[in-house]
Amino acid sequence: MLRDGQTAAGNHAADWIRAIAERQDRAAFAALFAFYAPRIKAMLTRRGAPADAAEDLAQETLLTVWRKAAYFDPDRASAAAWIFTIARNLRIDRLRGDNRTKLYAPYEMVEPEGPQNPDSALSAAERDERVRAALKELSQEQVRVVQLSFFEGRAHGDIATLLDLPLGTVKSRVRLAMARLRNLLGDLQ
Amino acid sequence: MSIIHHPSDATLAAFASGTLDEARGIVVGVHLSLCAQCRSAVHAFEETGGALLDDVEPEALSAGALQRAMAALGPLDIIAPAIPQGAAGDLPVPLSRYAVGPWRWIGRGVQWRPVEVASDAGVRVFMLKAAPGTKLPRHRHTGTEWTCVFEGAFTHAFGRYGAGDFDEADASVEHDPVVDAEHGCVCLVALQGHIELQGWLGRLIQPFVRI
Repeated sequence: MLRDGQTAAGNHAADWIRAIAERQDRAAFAALFAFYAPRIKAMLTRRGAPADAAEDLAQETLLTVWRKAAYFDPDRASAAAWIFTIARNLRIDRLRGDNRTKLYAPYEMVEPEGPQNPDSALSAAERDERVRAALKELSQEQVRVVQLSFFEGRAHGDIATLLDLPLGTVKSRVRLAMARLRNLLGDLQ
Repeated sequence: MSIIHHPSDATLAAFASGTLDEARGIVVGVHLSLCAQCRSAVHAFEETGGALLDDVEPEALSAGALQRAMAALGPLDIIAPAIPQGAAGDLPVPLSRYAVGPWRWIGRGVQWRPVEVASDAGVRVFMLKAAPGTKLPRHRHTGTEWTCVFEGAFTHAFGRYGAGDFDEADASVEHDPVVDAEHGCVCLVALQGHIELQGWLGRLIQPFVRI
């Protein structure tokens, strides 16, 4: 299910964000917007948002990326994961009619404890490679469950209807797929 | 602190994807603030979210979307020094960001303190403080009961739960926890539905028990 060639765009994204942070590079923003805004819109419509609300949030996510560009730390997260968490937090704020989610540190990944050990830290490319390799290791069936439950945020009952499976089967499938994925990912710090 | 019991991977993934309800998310978040291993797992799931985002079939934006975004670009935020966390009465993040009520006695040796969070999943969040050696009556739940221990410990059929440990009990679990005889126990609980006390005594006192 993973199309080749996306990794390259992902790697450019970190450079684009740095260009924004260093010199407010509008061309870099346009490139980032062209790649991510339509994808965030797609993710949010799959999560049940109406098209116009999804597009609004995609806009807001990219504007937040611009504003917070200096906070991006490629040693801590990939550009894609950072943007994913910004969209996640904004969606929650919007759903709760709140302007700031209390559950997550705003616009940051869950903070690591103390300084990282540079010897054991993965490079951005290694981390990206590890995630993609893990997703390729999953069975077709498990990838489907990860997409529906994790990425699209569908309830178990919803997935049961979609896949025409008993609820209990869906629950154990989600549990197993996420455990296997976690196992394959290992420690990405 | 050596943590033995952790949230399930599916729960950590739901937290990372933003699909876990806020009430249960607080209890998971408190565990994360205490557990580097689970923070690392959430991070790995967030990276997975990024990879899936890169890979999703894009959906076309309306005409002029980029121009509108470009027109809205303003100054960048300057990195501000991090605000010290956990200032509110030593409660861990994210609990410290929520309003917490006063302690109230709800039974012999047991105090209860509500956390103000709205839930559309019928989940209530509260802190419990139990005196050393307290035996809670055998009970089951009509929904999930997730617990994170702050101080002390309790023990039930699935083991001993000390500081930082996370207990993810679903509606099928029936248990009778015993609180640590020396240190007592302070914990944070997200309870869906309500508790059903078991046995004739339990059914007798059920109407008087508030949780």
